[in-house]
Amino acid sequence: MSNFLWDNIFRKDAQEKELIQRLKENILFESLSYKELRFIEKIVHERVYRANEVIFRQGEAGVGMYIIHKGNVDIYVNETAAGSEESEQESQVTQLSEGDFFGEISLVEANGRRTASAITSTDTRLIGFFRPDLVELLNRNPHVGAKVVFKLAEVLGRRLAETTNKISLVKQELHRINQRRKARS
Amino acid sequence: MTPGNRSLIKRERWIKLAAVVGLLLFSFITLFSVDNMLASVVIALVYTYLLNPFVYKLERRGFKRTPSILIPFFAAGAIFSLIVALFYPVVSEQIRDLQTEFPKYQEGVAQLIASLDAKAQLIFKDYYDFDMAQKLGDIVSVSASTIFTNIPDFAGRFLTIFVLAPFFAFFMIRDGRPIMRQFLRMMPNNLFELALNLNFQINKQMGDFIRARLLEAGIVGLVVWLGLAIIGFPYASILAFFAALTNLIPYVGPFIGAIPAIAISLINNDPGITIFLVAMTYAIAQIIDIVFIIPVVVAKIVNLHPVFVVVVIIIGSQLMGVLGMIISIPVASAIKLTISAVYDHLIHFRS
Repeated sequence: MSNFLWDNIFRKDAQEKELIQRLKENILFESLSYKELRFIEKIVHERVYRANEVIFRQGEAGVGMYIIHKGNVDIYVNETAAGSEESEQESQVTQLSEGDFFGEISLVEANGRRTASAITSTDTRLIGFFRPDLVELLNRNPHVGAKVVFKLAEVLGRRLAETTNKISLVKQELHRINQRRKARS
Repeated sequence: MTPGNRSLIKRERWIKLAAVVGLLLFSFITLFSVDNMLASVVIALVYTYLLNPFVYKLERRGFKRTPSILIPFFAAGAIFSLIVALFYPVVSEQIRDLQTEFPKYQEGVAQLIASLDAKAQLIFKDYYDFDMAQKLGDIVSVSASTIFTNIPDFAGRFLTIFVLAPFFAFFMIRDGRPIMRQFLRMMPNNLFELALNLNFQINKQMGDFIRARLLEAGIVGLVVWLGLAIIGFPYASILAFFAALTNLIPYVGPFIGAIPAIAISLINNDPGITIFLVAMTYAIAQIIDIVFIIPVVVAKIVNLHPVFVVVVIIIGSQLMGVLGMIISIPVASAIKLTISAVYDHLIHFRS
């Protein structure tokens, strides 16, 4: 009996350390000290999903981001154009694995909607960090909160730069196609 | 997704949902069926929402969690004791006076009702077939005979609630968050984000609502006390406390709060100018409330239609008396928020 109890205590301790390690690897929390990470560990939520379980669907209201602690997550986007009569078709955009994170825009977007669907491909453990948790962090420990928000801004800035790059590439491509069309006619 | 896997996920979700609903039902039944529990929890919630900003402030300054809770707790206790010590001699003297003069007021109210009844008989004649003087007189004499005999029982309940409420409040502030985390952990995955966000929004609205309403009631009570004290009206402290308490009831509360003072001045056959000044005191308190306090302090509160508010107050009073009238609005706001969030999450985005 005592062994069972001790085993459990040690296992819980090991799980906590693993969780803190996972948080430390994430860009949002990488600048935090061990003590600060312990504070974050008490705020975030660990969720367990079965294989092929929906985490969220595109269009749903979203309130935060997930970090993959263990397992894999597929991201799907519904590509049916608005107003189109075609049946809805979801295509896989990417597969995320341990340490990756997704949904971070919802942390700062009020009444935001999910822009893609996330579905697990194996049994998966996720660490959820949501807007209410961020508000709590800023209320209780603004020093740590500011570090996290600064990193979040950095991530969103990078995403914006990537998107801008992609849009200009698409624009250039469109411009080339138009010129080719004009040359043919 | 294999059909086996899908049914396993569905089964797990239903089991978790049943556990959550069961736990909520058990909590509600305990709350409503155990003596003094509901009032204690409501007052503990008020305590919690009032002290929470100070707890956060101390935590931000680097204090550990438990001292951050204990310091505002003891400070609030000290302030409360100081107020009681300051006002006790005045209030107890006013209660003693009221107890001595009570038969006079009882008779005066009966006479007032009788004269109103006579006037109504004169105006409506054939259409009026109701012995108002007899009926209301009975109610007044029954409540008058029980008001002072019920004081020991009321004091006993009051004491139980005021011992239980801070005890609950301390643990609500200290352990409320981990308990809520455990509760959310039980939530099925598909409803987790919805539950988390709802909890956050309801918590925020309740906090804003309670803090704003208490500040509003305090200011109204203070204005009434100042006005009545300047006029030199009797029982100023008791009447101001009553006005502050009834001001917590929207729309009808301010009128209920003014009735005792007007009745006392009518029974005492005060000169017209005194009655006018008493009425003006209550009117000024309400004008300050409507023009300055509500737009600045209470505007954050969730918007409910006036008709809906009145209906909700009536339902609250039918179910739980005065406590029901006071808590009906925050409860209705929470229900409205829950319904709109659930609708938005489960129906709106799918359509």
